[in-house]
Amino acid sequence: MAISLLFGLSSMRYQTGDFSRAGPGLFPALVSSMLFAIALSIVVRSRFVPKIPLDLHVKNIVVIIGSLCAFAAVSMVVNMIAGIVLMTFLATLAGSNYSWKRNIKISIGLVLMAFFLVHILGMNLPLY
Amino acid sequence: MEVLHNLAFGFSHALTMNNLMYCAIGCTVGTLVGLLPGLGPLATISILLPLTYSIPTGGALIMLAGIYYGAQYGDSVSAITMKIPHASSIVACIDGYAMTLKGQTGLALFTAGVSSFIGGTVAIIVLAWFAPMLGEVAFLFGPADYCALMMVGFVCVSFVTTGSLLNGLSMCMIGVLLGQIGTDVNSGVQRFTMDLPFLADGIGVVSIALGCFGIAEITKNLDARTERSPFNGKINLMPTWSEFKRIIPSALRGSAVGSFLGILPGGGPTIAQFVAYALDKKVSKYKHLIGTGVIEGVAGQAAADEAAARTSFIPLMSIGIPENAVMALMLAAFIIKGIQPGPNMIANHPDLFWGLVASMWVGNVFLLVLNVPLVRYWLSVFKIPYNVLFPCILFFCCIGTYSLNNNMDDIFVTAVFGFIGYMFMRLDLDAAPLMLGFILGPMLEENFRRALLLSRGSFGIFVQRPISGSLFGLIALFLVWQVVIFFLKSRKNKIPMLAIPPHEAEA
Repeated sequence: MAISLLFGLSSMRYQTGDFSRAGPGLFPALVSSMLFAIALSIVVRSRFVPKIPLDLHVKNIVVIIGSLCAFAAVSMVVNMIAGIVLMTFLATLAGSNYSWKRNIKISIGLVLMAFFLVHILGMNLPLY
Repeated sequence: MEVLHNLAFGFSHALTMNNLMYCAIGCTVGTLVGLLPGLGPLATISILLPLTYSIPTGGALIMLAGIYYGAQYGDSVSAITMKIPHASSIVACIDGYAMTLKGQTGLALFTAGVSSFIGGTVAIIVLAWFAPMLGEVAFLFGPADYCALMMVGFVCVSFVTTGSLLNGLSMCMIGVLLGQIGTDVNSGVQRFTMDLPFLADGIGVVSIALGCFGIAEITKNLDARTERSPFNGKINLMPTWSEFKRIIPSALRGSAVGSFLGILPGGGPTIAQFVAYALDKKVSKYKHLIGTGVIEGVAGQAAADEAAARTSFIPLMSIGIPENAVMALMLAAFIIKGIQPGPNMIANHPDLFWGLVASMWVGNVFLLVLNVPLVRYWLSVFKIPYNVLFPCILFFCCIGTYSLNNNMDDIFVTAVFGFIGYMFMRLDLDAAPLMLGFILGPMLEENFRRALLLSRGSFGIFVQRPISGSLFGLIALFLVWQVVIFFLKSRKNKIPMLAIPPHEAEA
């Protein structure tokens, strides 16, 4: 419902036109209305079904998303090699066990793979 | 005769040194990634799609198709040996794993490999005959018919993948809305971009696919915290003649079922293997043994799985409308390479179309070699601990996202969709319909606006045209049927509650 409202209300900012000459806001407004109607039906249906607890592990998703963002940020500010190393050390925090030695080996392997992608496959990566 | 001539033309393209190499790489890498726990064909294609950017169009499409059916094969190997199911190999876990427990892993893998080969071969014949015919029918389609066809696709995919029509449709609509982000092609107005310049071209399909399938799958596997012990059993691949004879009828039945169900909207490998398994349970000579680990329980579903994977290319290549999320991703790959699949593709790019069809059979041969004699070597992949594997997958996700536009902002977008995809997964909302909605959204809008322009704003065009009228009629019937089932079910649940005496209910 929140998504439908977000898109639906935003679409009001654009011209809707009429059905024979639809403006940029008409189609998103129609789809948002349909989504709102479906969301409303889901809310009504949820009253008739038993509750199920939400199995959420916030730590892992935060670590993984954080490592991706750190990779992008460090690659922009420093270079991609630093980004790869930081991502490896951060992402493995979500694993079942943590080992500095193993992380160093993984980082070396991934940096070598990045060099392979740049120099053999010709990809354009800002490694240094 | 014409089909044979066209196939010969296709083989002349597929059997060039470069295309053979791309096909072999696609099959190998697809099988390798498909074997990994938690990574199904959708995640595999998402992760490996960027590998094809620097490859010529024909080779890239051949490689992507190889990745797709290679991943299907890889899935069944991990399902049979270690009972690691993906959506595309759930049924293989039943009899396949039961055969492993009985010490018949080699026979199960041989059966799956040969049946998949048979299924793939039958499906390619169907594809070669049927796709050009359907392509000619597609010329009759107007904008209203395309809208109706896409809506049928949404309804079918929503129902098949999530089991709940409402949940699936809501995901489709979210996908359609996400597809609206960017510049409107008719008016040039930037919509929902929040004044961020990198959103002017819209959200990249790779960012959504990698976020919702790659990142979310990795995190789900990390949440499970189950370190699987690698398969160490003995593999004896050569079956006896009597065992080999038992494979053929089931595989042919599965091939027919898979080829048919692969073409239908919302169809594809998952539903085909269930139907083939159910059919074998009804008509097979050994039907009473199915479920306990027999050849017939593996052969039919493996053939159907592979056949449906190939025939699901028919609607994509002949009409230009993908029928499931994997095909939607393939459509994106076609568009990235500058090819618009549809009725004109066969006429304008016969080399690509027939080359791809022929390469599917070549890929079939590669997969038979890779998965039957060499399968024991593939199983060593499971010896790599997940703690080593997942940073490597993350690395490929990052490189893949970045290399699309050489822009780091895309990685932030992938991260956002990783979080969204994970939340959807935990809420039991399948992201596959979202993917379909996202890719078809702009096409749906374009055809919707065009249809209304032609009809001068009258919605009657959607019911007056025979094709769109019939398709919308089918959707209406399906929706009414769903509402009736819902009320019947809720009445059924109420009756036992009413039957309980009040004092017992209070207790």
